[in-house]
Amino acid sequence: MNIPEKLGPEKLAKKPAPRPARSLRLKNTLIGWSFVAVASLLIGIFYFFPMVQALIMSFQSGTGVNLSFVGFENYIRLFQDPVFLTTVKNTVIYLIIQVPVMILLALFLSVVLNNKTLKWKGFFRTAIFLPCVTSLVAYSVVFKYLFAPDGIVNMTLMKINLVSEPVQWLTDPFWAKITIILAITWRWTGYNMIFYLSALQNVDQSIYEAAKIDGASAIQQFFKITIPMLKPIILFTSITSTIGTLQLFDEVMNITAGGPGNSTMTISQYIYNLSFKYTPDFGYAATVSYAIVILIVIFSIIQFKAGGEKK
Amino acid sequence: MMKKFLALLFVSLLVLSACSSGSGSEADADTNDIKVWAWDPNFNIKAAELAKTAYQEENSELNIEIIEYAQDDIIQKLNTSLSSGTTKGLPNVVLIEDYRAQSFLQSYPDMFYAVDDAISIDDFAKYKQPPTSFEGKQYGVPFDSGVAGLYVRTDYLEEAGYSIDDLKDADWEKVIEIGTAVKDATGKQMITQDPKDLGLLRMMIQTSGAWYLEEDGVTPNIANNDALKEAFRLYKEMIDVDLVKPHADWSQYIATINNGDISMLPSGNWITPSVKAEASQSGKWAVAPFPKLPGMESVNASNLGGSSWYVLNIPGKEKAAEFLGQTFGADGDFHQQFVEEVGGVGTYQPAAEGEAYQAEDEFFGGQKIMSDFAAWTEEIPQVNYGLHTYVIEDILANEIQKYLQGEDLDTVMENAQSLAEQQAK
Repeated sequence: MNIPEKLGPEKLAKKPAPRPARSLRLKNTLIGWSFVAVASLLIGIFYFFPMVQALIMSFQSGTGVNLSFVGFENYIRLFQDPVFLTTVKNTVIYLIIQVPVMILLALFLSVVLNNKTLKWKGFFRTAIFLPCVTSLVAYSVVFKYLFAPDGIVNMTLMKINLVSEPVQWLTDPFWAKITIILAITWRWTGYNMIFYLSALQNVDQSIYEAAKIDGASAIQQFFKITIPMLKPIILFTSITSTIGTLQLFDEVMNITAGGPGNSTMTISQYIYNLSFKYTPDFGYAATVSYAIVILIVIFSIIQFKAGGEKK
Repeated sequence: MMKKFLALLFVSLLVLSACSSGSGSEADADTNDIKVWAWDPNFNIKAAELAKTAYQEENSELNIEIIEYAQDDIIQKLNTSLSSGTTKGLPNVVLIEDYRAQSFLQSYPDMFYAVDDAISIDDFAKYKQPPTSFEGKQYGVPFDSGVAGLYVRTDYLEEAGYSIDDLKDADWEKVIEIGTAVKDATGKQMITQDPKDLGLLRMMIQTSGAWYLEEDGVTPNIANNDALKEAFRLYKEMIDVDLVKPHADWSQYIATINNGDISMLPSGNWITPSVKAEASQSGKWAVAPFPKLPGMESVNASNLGGSSWYVLNIPGKEKAAEFLGQTFGADGDFHQQFVEEVGGVGTYQPAAEGEAYQAEDEFFGGQKIMSDFAAWTEEIPQVNYGLHTYVIEDILANEIQKYLQGEDLDTVMENAQSLAEQQAK
């Protein structure tokens, strides 16, 4: 799609300039294009070229370099592949539980921390934002040890007599999902909170004052003023979180490695397994990656429809 | 001005396209720099260092560089480089696990260099040949054995009134019986298991010469695989009577062993250094032959892991092959040092008569474990690991959960069979 744009300046440059007025306009256009050209060229080579290559590859199958065209077989296989369907199911479970919980938590925290009378504001903000600067792999490994059968979480729960024997946080299909959700919530809540905080600071205080004079309670102010004012930001964060969750890889790979069975495996991890863990089938792996693209598009459209302005 | 700018654009385009077209004109020059990739600094890397020292005593002009990567990283690097067709940055020699070897040899034909001239495969344990060769050519230089044994806490056994002799030539029913008695006496569970890693089942079925795949190395063999069914049944039995302590990763695994939480440890011989790491348990361990499967043809010997060296088809290949042939594939001091300093069991048969194999190990109560392992190595049934070990293992790891939760064994196996046929292509 970018190819005509890229060719633009070069083609035009070969023509001799006919009239001074047009030549000036042409020159301006050319300069404009030349600024865009470098970026488009690089994007073309490093984004669109691999994307097209991957699309072509998704119609091929075979081991390693022995790829051959198989038509739509990979896409048919996709819908019959129980592992793929399980990974989609797992990813969607993470999505519909984790994203709303995280968004609400982030909203709540940002409103609390936006309170003018709160002391140690800077400290609390930093503390909640800090998880975002940790490396994905490093925090995953720490979580794995926290939630190990004899890890600190189990030890604490047992010491305060909440459970009588260790919860299998990593080896039970249900609890393993909970562990993953807890981990990503911890990692990303602060990140979203920062967006809400900065948006809140742009909300005119007089609106709240007027509401107060009219006798609105704090809860009413939150739902009737804060939420509507933050709507575009909420939409933005929910879309980026959705995309992030659909691409989830590091945490699952490092905390549970997809186990037990396939019960925590995500789509991205399945792509990794198809390419590197099993006998490599890069063609089918490319097909699965395109499935993620399609899913992201679908979810984003749904969110735009649900949260966007009604025009 | 404009022209200059356009010229610059064209140049940058040219440079970029030159980058992408790659280095086709690479000279097939001979090189004296040999790079070796392997994982596990205590075992494989140490062995490679020993081989390097031994070889350089006579061939000092060859520069051998040994580089340590995690096994997963090696697999990734090989796959990405080989599939893109570039050999730049690849080593001359790489260690590949036997379970994965066919997957590489068949996925990237012509990328590996046959070593028929450098070694004689008949010198090595027989079971090593199918995974390391392809289309009649020998590609791998067989390295460590991965021979399996049943590591046992003799002090726990004694508390329950048993001794290590009760485990000689035992089958799994007998082992479970002893394990249950030990648990009643000491409160310690029998084994530890990662629900996602079916190494135990792999060892079990190889004792009767069976594998996840038929002998052709491609067709899944699950629904009618009696050995696998029996292994599933035994696994469930162990879980049902609470003999299995779960762990989720390697460090938990090692901690469970070193803390004395389990009475038995079925594993490959490469676990020895990790067991011995807990020096306070010296004299409390022994190694019994691997238990066989009850009620069917099965021997007291099996294998877990084990790997071989491969030479990549890039400049320096002849020298790399010769280096491997003169060390891992020849009867020299190297093999004795490998036993003495690394504690590894090789697969090079003529070396097994050496003195180092006869040493008694105080940690294992004076047992000659090396000599025992070497003897069991010769009995390991030969199977073709084929292409799909890890795909099928993931399927089975999932299906076995259903079986453990009470689904019928035959239904589970048939389901796994059809899944495997769908996915292992």
